[in-house]
Amino acid sequence: MISDQASLEVHVSDVTVTYNNGHTALHDASFHLRSGSICALVGVNGSGKSTLFKAIMGFVRPSRGSVTIGGRPVKEAQKKSWVAYVPQSEEVDWTFPVSVWDVVMMGRYGFMNFLRTPRPEDKRLVRESLERVKMWDFRDRQIGELSGGQKKRVFLARALAQGGRVILLDEPFTGVDVKTEAAIIELLRELRAAGHIMLVSTHNLGSVPEFCDQVVLINRTVLASGPTEEVFTQANLALAFGGVLRQFQFDHSTVDDSDGRAVTLLTDDERPVVLGRGGHLEHRLSDEGKQGDES
Amino acid sequence: MIEQLTIPFQYEYMLKAIFVSALIGGVCAFLSCFVTLKGWSLMGDALSHSIVPGVALAVMLGLPFAVGAFFAGLLAAAAMGFVKAKTPIREDATIGIVFTSFFALGLLLISLYPTGFNLRTIVFGNMLGIADFDILQAIVICAIAMTVLLAKWKDLLLFCFDANQARSIGLNTTALHFILLSLLSAVAVAALQAVGACLVVAMLVTPGATAYLLTDRFGRMLGIASTMGVLTSAAGAYASYFLDGSVGGCIVVLQTTLFLLAFAFAPKHGMLASRRASRKAIAATLQEVSA
Repeated sequence: MISDQASLEVHVSDVTVTYNNGHTALHDASFHLRSGSICALVGVNGSGKSTLFKAIMGFVRPSRGSVTIGGRPVKEAQKKSWVAYVPQSEEVDWTFPVSVWDVVMMGRYGFMNFLRTPRPEDKRLVRESLERVKMWDFRDRQIGELSGGQKKRVFLARALAQGGRVILLDEPFTGVDVKTEAAIIELLRELRAAGHIMLVSTHNLGSVPEFCDQVVLINRTVLASGPTEEVFTQANLALAFGGVLRQFQFDHSTVDDSDGRAVTLLTDDERPVVLGRGGHLEHRLSDEGKQGDES
Repeated sequence: MIEQLTIPFQYEYMLKAIFVSALIGGVCAFLSCFVTLKGWSLMGDALSHSIVPGVALAVMLGLPFAVGAFFAGLLAAAAMGFVKAKTPIREDATIGIVFTSFFALGLLLISLYPTGFNLRTIVFGNMLGIADFDILQAIVICAIAMTVLLAKWKDLLLFCFDANQARSIGLNTTALHFILLSLLSAVAVAALQAVGACLVVAMLVTPGATAYLLTDRFGRMLGIASTMGVLTSAAGAYASYFLDGSVGGCIVVLQTTLFLLAFAFAPKHGMLASRRASRKAIAATLQEVSA
């Protein structure tokens, strides 16, 4: 398999990050993740999501508090390439003259010698990773010649080749179609089963209950964290987003007047969160439901 | 006829000029691949002008001018970084302010304290009159630069492509940034002799840009750019004998000609190719609509 299965935990304790210009982007943030989980990181723009990512990757030093991965400080985790990052599509220069193979091989640099000469072991892992995300046939393509979903899968493969056990994904569903989204989610579930921890920053609230077992709600600090059913509630979402979210309440609508039960909701791209009376969270497509559908 | 064509090879100064130009042209071209991909073209231009006061001071103090130039380049880069960090002024304005100040200071120093080193040499280069010590200097700079580039090109590539990834797997991106800047300064010093401060940036950008149009694999891009750098520089120096023109001018005009050819005829990214592709796309769309 791609990485060994030793269990790993991410502990974020009382992390405060103040930038050089005096701006405190995050204060007293605490949560922890056990191995084998997919956690959604949800919050408005400017709520400190990217700062939290940077703290976990070791790009910023918390002025107070600490982040540990598998009980080790971030710097050490970095040396072991434990933390992998799947960037937002906008951050990548897609015209860069590198092939799919080249990009995934870059995930192995941390393990190679001074000259970065790939060993057979590195080539094998790159191949395995590409096969796992079903991109092996595209290995010689220049990265700009891929569809949105294929691009995402290449960077996921890089994270796998790197042996990343904590994988940070920044808005993985922007610019991908519904089918690809499902494929990515399927892949994340497999990785969860293999013991990886995935932290997914997303605006796509509706997909959160479908594939995330944990949720961290953030607005300059961690407002709530824990299992999705407990944390992803109407009250908490209101707390995280204030009045920023558009909402449509069926119980105050003509839908309710005409028929109190049958509700159809259509949306083009982003999945809506559907909450029932008394805060019931609609997530029919979660793990159990999905397996039930298939059997 | 053949005899006439070999005349330049009978002069030692021509042989030296051709050899040194080819060497410098090759190293500049190799580095140009990183410069164009990192978006540092303006930075290259700035550094090549900023080294002038360093050259002037070194000559006044009797030091090898490469030493002064190298430190002036790094000082200019540091100054740009400092101004950018401390003010909300945009980066291009910062670069503009810093490099013109350095260049002006250099001009002032040279005009106030005339030395054997004349201004024309700095601004336009003096390949035909290059002294043996300067040749040695250029060879040392190129050898060091090529060694570093060949050893670390993969790290530099990852740094240019995805600095965050480089950092997250524990590469020292601050060091890589510094290495690339130092290489740029050092190579600019060498190129200063060949083509002068004004045209250094051409040697540091054009081969990379041309190769970029011709391939979408980085390895091939390095190969194409370096070959182009070596050949155009040698040919430029050679042609300058017959044209009785400036070596720098000949080299850069040759490089630009190749760039224009690639711009028009490159198989995938050239102008004609994209026109063909868009015509094809339109035809396909029309067919789809009518079907």
